[in-house]
Amino acid sequence: MVAARREDIAVRFLNVVYAVARKDLRAELRGRELLPALAQFVVLALVIANFAFDLDLVSGPRLSPGILWLVLVFAGLVVFGRAFAAEKESGSLEAMLLTPAGPAAIFAGKALAAAALLVACEALLLPAMAVFLGSPISAAVVVTVLVATAGMASLGSLFAALAAQTRARELLLPVLALPIWVPFVIVGGKAVQVAMSGQSLTALPLSSQPLVVMADFDILFLVVASLAARFVLDD
Amino acid sequence: MTAAIRAEGLLQRFGAVVAVGPLDLELRAGERLAVLGGNGAGKTTLLRLLATAARPARGRLELLGLDAGRQRERLRARLGYVGHQLGVYPALTAMENLEFFATLHGLGRADAAAAVELVGLASLAGRRVEQLSRGQHQRLALGRAVLHRPELLVLDEPDASLDSEGRSLLGQLFDGRTVVMATHDSALARQVCDRALLLRAGRAAGDPWSLRVVKT
Repeated sequence: MVAARREDIAVRFLNVVYAVARKDLRAELRGRELLPALAQFVVLALVIANFAFDLDLVSGPRLSPGILWLVLVFAGLVVFGRAFAAEKESGSLEAMLLTPAGPAAIFAGKALAAAALLVACEALLLPAMAVFLGSPISAAVVVTVLVATAGMASLGSLFAALAAQTRARELLLPVLALPIWVPFVIVGGKAVQVAMSGQSLTALPLSSQPLVVMADFDILFLVVASLAARFVLDD
Repeated sequence: MTAAIRAEGLLQRFGAVVAVGPLDLELRAGERLAVLGGNGAGKTTLLRLLATAARPARGRLELLGLDAGRQRERLRARLGYVGHQLGVYPALTAMENLEFFATLHGLGRADAAAAVELVGLASLAGRRVEQLSRGQHQRLALGRAVLHRPELLVLDEPDASLDSEGRSLLGQLFDGRTVVMATHDSALARQVCDRALLLRAGRAAGDPWSLRVVKT
């Protein structure tokens, strides 16, 4: 009886997560507001990096991890900032919260959609880096970036939800998110460096493997975000 | 009859400014209350408190026999709210909007279809909301508020942008429900409500018209 009820609650939670994520992605695909802007940002950022650093076949791959993270962090700020701000302004966030769906499920759905948009951005960024900078893009690099996306999305969405409650949301989100992302970016940068150098990500001892440390951060950020979502979203 | 709304010493403040209260209010199940008052009188703030969209700074609020502070999620399954901002999704169709909210309520497509029919948007169900008029947005928001068949409806100027047909729809939606409605249209309030509360600077301010004023 109790197990069946728990299963019901879990199914209901997942239904809400899926519905919120699908709604956000559908609205974005139809509105085409964010994706074209992100694509333009990615290409311009790489062109600027190419000229600013005077990249060649040697320096390009060497600087790639740093450039990758710079673009990811700023694209993330745009994606996560938009996830809650637009809904807050239109009143639809409040309409969602005034249902029995629960803030944690709503938050998870929105974070999932934001993560999907960031993945779409990465799907352009990685091949573009290979073309513009000669970056060696391997499966290990893709896995590293995807692991990074999970942590960035959970914490970025939490701060975006918090910032959306204020008037100075565009200023507050980077102020809140960037300092917390720093350790994550340092480890992520190391992981991408290792992956791009062709070394095995599992060659180091388990506790010092950057990918494992990033996965630990992911779990920590996911737990913190899901626990805090209720207090951040529901007044 | 049980009280659908019971508020004691309800007060909301923004910084040093008291927006509403202290206010005592009691509304029996099935009663319809019109909240009247000028701009800045505190109507929207009061309605947000009654819809559980905001927590009062002070006072006690019981809705449908539940504590509005501690039992919000249970309450939200039983109340419908349309705020000042309608909160509809322009890029989705009318039907997709209602299906989405039906899912959040744990309901299905049939409930969304019934709601779109009820608010007179069945023929426009497949059209994107950005292609609909402001009055049709209002109808859609009303459909969202009633799709889970709530016992209590809290509506902030639901008549805004509605045509005469839309206004008569309000009477239909109110049938058998406890309603609190803010409006600037006292004629409409007389037509669809049976009690009234005139707010001035957040406090009850006497008899707005011949209806019985809520005792405070």
